[in-house]
Amino acid sequence: MSDWLGPAEWQALALSLWVSFFATLLSLPFGVFIAYALARWQFRGKHILNVLVHLPLILPPVVTGYLLLLTFGRQGAIGSWLYDNFGVILAFRWTGAVLAAAIMAFPLMVRSLRLAIEAVDPKLEQAAATLGAPRLWVFVTVTLPLILPGLIAGSVLAFAKAMGEFGATITFVSNIPGQTQTLPSAIYAFLQVPGGEGSALRLVVVSVVVAMGALLASEWLARRAVQRIAGS
Amino acid sequence: MLHHWSRRLFLAMSLAAMITPFVTKAETPVTVFAAASLKSALDELAATYADPVHISYGGSSTLARQIQHGAPADLFISANAAWMDVLEQDGLIVAASRRTLLTNRLVLIAGPDVDPDLTIEPGFDLAAALGQDHLAMALIDAVPAGIYGAAALRSLGVWEQVAHRVAQTDNVRAALMLVVLGEAPYGVVYATDAEASPDVRVVGMFPEGSHPPIRYPAAPITGANPAPAQAFLDFLLTPEAGEVFQKHGFGLPGDGA
Repeated sequence: MSDWLGPAEWQALALSLWVSFFATLLSLPFGVFIAYALARWQFRGKHILNVLVHLPLILPPVVTGYLLLLTFGRQGAIGSWLYDNFGVILAFRWTGAVLAAAIMAFPLMVRSLRLAIEAVDPKLEQAAATLGAPRLWVFVTVTLPLILPGLIAGSVLAFAKAMGEFGATITFVSNIPGQTQTLPSAIYAFLQVPGGEGSALRLVVVSVVVAMGALLASEWLARRAVQRIAGS
Repeated sequence: MLHHWSRRLFLAMSLAAMITPFVTKAETPVTVFAAASLKSALDELAATYADPVHISYGGSSTLARQIQHGAPADLFISANAAWMDVLEQDGLIVAASRRTLLTNRLVLIAGPDVDPDLTIEPGFDLAAALGQDHLAMALIDAVPAGIYGAAALRSLGVWEQVAHRVAQTDNVRAALMLVVLGEAPYGVVYATDAEASPDVRVVGMFPEGSHPPIRYPAAPITGANPAPAQAFLDFLLTPEAGEVFQKHGFGLPGDGA
């Protein structure tokens, strides 16, 4: 296996897993909050928020990457503010790859979570509230366990999407081996070289195996979560 | 309902099949697959050509793969010889009609907020000029501009110092964009790209001997009727067309480049 992939390919695979893991982790709290707001609350600008969340799904990824570069780049409004105040640089760093992957995967996560939250009977939450539990505690003890299968499914979808993200990533953080060269960037680079099909196909196989593994794991976890909910 | 629709679709398709040969015969349009760096020059030339010209721009490698899979191109203009060689081996181009159409040069560019104090020479201190920032280049293993750029920096003996600071993009225009936006202070692009953007400054040209010659080969695609493609290629090889290419920063192979 170690001969099958070269060191550069191993590095790309490890970086992809690392970036996708943090992208999923980073978007999870925001995803839960926004999905809950969209599912349960009525407020001004709800439709606009919904559209904004789904925008990365509709825009060409290159455009999303370009917008990220304009706002989070060293010269961008948020990017320069982050650098001046916290010394944080996102452009051309793996942290920027995490941001790009997180934003591209965010709509998928929110969709799964929102469906799961909408499926929870509000009467269960109301019952807990009438018994005197504070709102956040109701969420943690009643809502969260009930949406666990949806949360797992959403996270895995987001992870898989992050693993496959290419357009926004290469536009925002380019392609630096060990820093921002993810699996799709490596596949793309191989396809540009005459005779690079073999290496590209090996990486495609690796991507398929990782994605299928993630999906199978999520199915299994979700089924166990459903059994636990039914059993308790 | 389904039958109804499929019959309509069949009718429409057979009608289209009947009309198409007449339409193409009437105007003999040429479909050209051309490297993205040629866009501004070729658009200008195509507008002055007598017959309609449809041009699909893209990375040379992407276009070559599409031709391998049967894309309906009449003429292919590549930004590097390697992909043209592949198509020639596959018998997909009219090898006897293959010509070197253009040449190009490689330049080091600096962004709008950079005050470059650099001269391109063996061992020049590009690493110090970059500091903690990045050098924007096209993919150094895959995209011709990146391959030539890495070769040039290697032969000047500065590659080792800057390799870890190279931000690689999927095409050379994206590298140009990073410099225009000020995200990368320096970049390596074609002379024609620098020409196309008023926002960047050319620090200097890489010596011609520092990298393999940059040539744009052109050849008609093997097909039933290569005549319109050959006619358009002949037009591109005229001195008048050459002037337009030179205006956009290209060199002509006759210049000894």
